Amino acid sequence: MTGAPAVVPSYSCTIDELMVVAFSRALANDTRAFNGAASFVPVCAYRLARRTHAPELVWAASSIAVDADPAVVGSSTLSDELWGGASMLANSPADFWTYAQGARYNTFAFRGAQMDAYGNVNNSVIGPYHSPKVRLPGGGGMADLGCMIPRIYLWSTTHGPRTFVERLDFRSGLGWGDGGDHRASLGLPGGPRLCVTSLCVFDFEPETKRMRLASLHPGVSVEDVQSATGFEVLLPAGEVPITAQPSAEELHILRTEVDPSGARRREF
Amino acid sequence: MPDGATIALGGLSMNSAPMAFVRELVRADKRDLTVVAIVAGMCVDWLVAAGAVSRVVAGLVSFEGLGLAPHFRRAVERGETTMEEYSEHLLICRLQAQARRLPFMPTVAGLGTDVPALHAGSGTLRIETDTATGRPYVACTPLAVDVAVVHVHEADATGNARVHPKLIWMDSEIVNAADRSVVTAERIVDNASFTAEPHRSSYPRFMVDAVCAAPRGAYPTSCFPDYGHDDGFYADYVAACGSPADFGAFWERRIAGPETWDDVLAANGAAVTDGRVAGGST
Repeated sequence: MTGAPAVVPSYSCTIDELMVVAFSRALANDTRAFNGAASFVPVCAYRLARRTHAPELVWAASSIAVDADPAVVGSSTLSDELWGGASMLANSPADFWTYAQGARYNTFAFRGAQMDAYGNVNNSVIGPYHSPKVRLPGGGGMADLGCMIPRIYLWSTTHGPRTFVERLDFRSGLGWGDGGDHRASLGLPGGPRLCVTSLCVFDFEPETKRMRLASLHPGVSVEDVQSATGFEVLLPAGEVPITAQPSAEELHILRTEVDPSGARRREF
Repeated sequence: MPDGATIALGGLSMNSAPMAFVRELVRADKRDLTVVAIVAGMCVDWLVAAGAVSRVVAGLVSFEGLGLAPHFRRAVERGETTMEEYSEHLLICRLQAQARRLPFMPTVAGLGTDVPALHAGSGTLRIETDTATGRPYVACTPLAVDVAVVHVHEADATGNARVHPKLIWMDSEIVNAADRSVVTAERIVDNASFTAEPHRSSYPRFMVDAVCAAPRGAYPTSCFPDYGHDDGFYADYVAACGSPADFGAFWERRIAGPETWDDVLAANGAAVTDGRVAGGST
């Protein structure tokens, strides 16, 4: 689990740090977020954003502990290890699921073993559903929250053709669905905004709702992304920008305050 | 708890699962259980490892950052155990429909995903359209549960029970849905302790059919704020799953073999007298 994320060429950071910073910079000050299981990169991004450009950002640790500010991030992002400094322990049945359904929480991040061009994810099975090659944990709350929450973020620390696929073996969590106005036709709010990966950042083309290259991490080419992606990658008009360099301040805060134990590397 | 029963286990992921009770199910050699657990991990893996489970009804079963739940994964891949997969909220809605004796609970959860179609045959979920607004929803039908088992901090002899500092996870959903409920408690206290602070009670005695004293009964999961989950146990467990011989020895020495729950805790260096379990917080 705990690997050694690659150093980013010409940036004085590693890929986990670049991903956290890129995610963090996308979060507005009116973000009201919570997190699910094994969500180390999003947890770090929420905490970093609140300490930098988004001081009013709300983060409910484990979906329970509102405004938590723990000293460290541990081995579970659903653990009470994350709850230090919280102003409220909002319980799950009465509080959390009501806030989520009413979009009082407006931001959620999920990932899957497979993701498709529309930001739908599979965390249930690899192979045929009833005789799977790999039985994965299951969608948990992603099938719910993908429908309820208007601002969805995706991330992947393993950008390759086995993760980014043309067709999911199972759709555990809803992104933009079949694309176009599918979500709206189901009466569901918003949809995925960004997908931050170990190679690049995708946004979603406004009409089709397919992933589109928004920036390349240093040293990564368009061809690299395309060959690591099982569906056709849309390109923006003009040159594809390079993912912006994290500032020294962001890296310092991430390393010393947000995640001093390096829990974010558990995903690599 | 007869063979073939549908039992629901409380807790969430590495938090507050009734592990001492689960171990007794293992030792009682139960068979053919249907286990309902909204977001689970170690509790399901123990029961699957013991061959006690024919069906898991869950939203998620994993060890989070420490990997997949090995026995659960293998048993489903081999077709020895069925995973009846929902999502957290779809399961909650089924439990609420049961608790309230309603034909269904509506939710937008699962729309646009492949989850509802898994249950088209059994009819436990139906996609319907509200005739007044035209909005689609998923109708979640009642989920009958024979026995719910939850772990709490304190209970009295009559069944009043409370979670300290308050009920956090979705345990009340399974207690409300179940025909009978068993509470395992860190401490048994006098009834006067409840009447002195009635605002702190989580379950009234008429919702609880049996109370068991189980100090540190959620180990190796957490019981916030008393103790955290034990990372070391999870890591050792996963490592032992690498070979049947290793796991057999681990199972015997640290889970199934010890005579009492206190002996289990001692075998894992987590006896109540040892203070907080490693990996804890607060």
